[in-house]
Amino acid sequence: MRNLYLALLKYKDHLIFLIAVTLSFSLLLKNDTPDVLIVRGKFSDYFSFISSPFAWVKSMTQLQGETQLLRDKNIQLTLEMEAMLIAQGENNELRDLLGFKRESKLKLLAARVINMGASSNLTSITLDIGSDHGVMVNQPVLVPEGVIGKTVVVGEKSATVQIIKDGNYRLSVRIMPSGNAGILQYIAQDYCEVRELQKNSTISVGDKVVTSGFSQIYPENLPVGEVIEVVDERGSFQTVAKVRIRPNLGALLNVFIVIEEIDEVD
Amino acid sequence: MKLINIMISAVAVFLAQFFLVDFLSLKMIRPDFMVVYIFYISLVFGKTPGVIVGFSLGLLSDLSGVGSLFGLSPLTLSITAYLTGILHGKYERLLPYVFHGTWISIIAFHFLLISYFRFQTVFVSDPITFWKLWFMSFSYTMMFFFITQFFYPVKEASRAEIT
Repeated sequence: MRNLYLALLKYKDHLIFLIAVTLSFSLLLKNDTPDVLIVRGKFSDYFSFISSPFAWVKSMTQLQGETQLLRDKNIQLTLEMEAMLIAQGENNELRDLLGFKRESKLKLLAARVINMGASSNLTSITLDIGSDHGVMVNQPVLVPEGVIGKTVVVGEKSATVQIIKDGNYRLSVRIMPSGNAGILQYIAQDYCEVRELQKNSTISVGDKVVTSGFSQIYPENLPVGEVIEVVDERGSFQTVAKVRIRPNLGALLNVFIVIEEIDEVD
Repeated sequence: MKLINIMISAVAVFLAQFFLVDFLSLKMIRPDFMVVYIFYISLVFGKTPGVIVGFSLGLLSDLSGVGSLFGLSPLTLSITAYLTGILHGKYERLLPYVFHGTWISIIAFHFLLISYFRFQTVFVSDPITFWKLWFMSFSYTMMFFFITQFFYPVKEASRAEIT
């Protein structure tokens, strides 16, 4: 017994290191287990409480710039709305002609970004709303420019969002107007790649990328980005499209969570 | 007393990391103050305190919000602490360039591990971008390392316990 104690004492450095590495690996492998998610949800609440005053100060400092931006956007949107009203009238006429009218509405919940984690690479953000507000795990998170992620950990008053930059993030998308479906994954900076596209796809630079609707998480036709390059390698059975997503995810202040999709068929 | 000092400074470093990284973020590359702190703790006090503090800080960092690699920070910080602990009290016994080369390599390895886990897809599809990302995150934190050198040189930290 004494020998064992002495051996433990002698090799305590290695033993503690071994325990730390084993624990870390077991945490990495148990990322999605309910126990780990509950603990992360609880801590997410605590950290959101700590960082909320700081987020408030940060938003105050950015308020002036944001107001100016909103003014510009307001004028831009007013002009766009005029054009859209005309388009809507035309659209309604055409729908009536087709004999049916279908509208898809999304129920959105606005949220404020209160924390971007302490890790050296940004892969998640924390929002100031949680299960108390009706947020659940695996709900899409959007900004006006497009999809930016999904909820992965939900506390009572906060939620952690896995953003598109996370190495394990995949999104089923469709490239419009051709309608080709593929899997989007993040590459670097503001660029993603859409893989698994058919070799004979007719994709052009500037095509819009939207969600395919195949996934149970994302409703169809949510904007994602724009094609900036089409890579058609000889000898490969697939075409790869490079896509530009919403730039500067590190400067996000407000986002929307899609709570549910309401389909109405009149 | 030593334990209390380590704990207070660890909490201070974590809070600095938690609140300041956004302001110091350059093109989404963020500095890692925790690795600087763990490095010094291991160099001054040895492997055991380094690994314990590294694991705890890493866990705290991941609990503050990380996408899908929960557990990566404790792993990388524990490994860095263990490797740095080998250099504890070794400054006099090693040639200076070997000593400095070793600790810089340990930090480079820390960022290589993080980058590999986080950017696996980039590593497969575009190795040049992967190495660029690794180099940027490594060199940005190294900049803070060099700033710290002015206040607390590594060679002094390595001898701190002995003297």
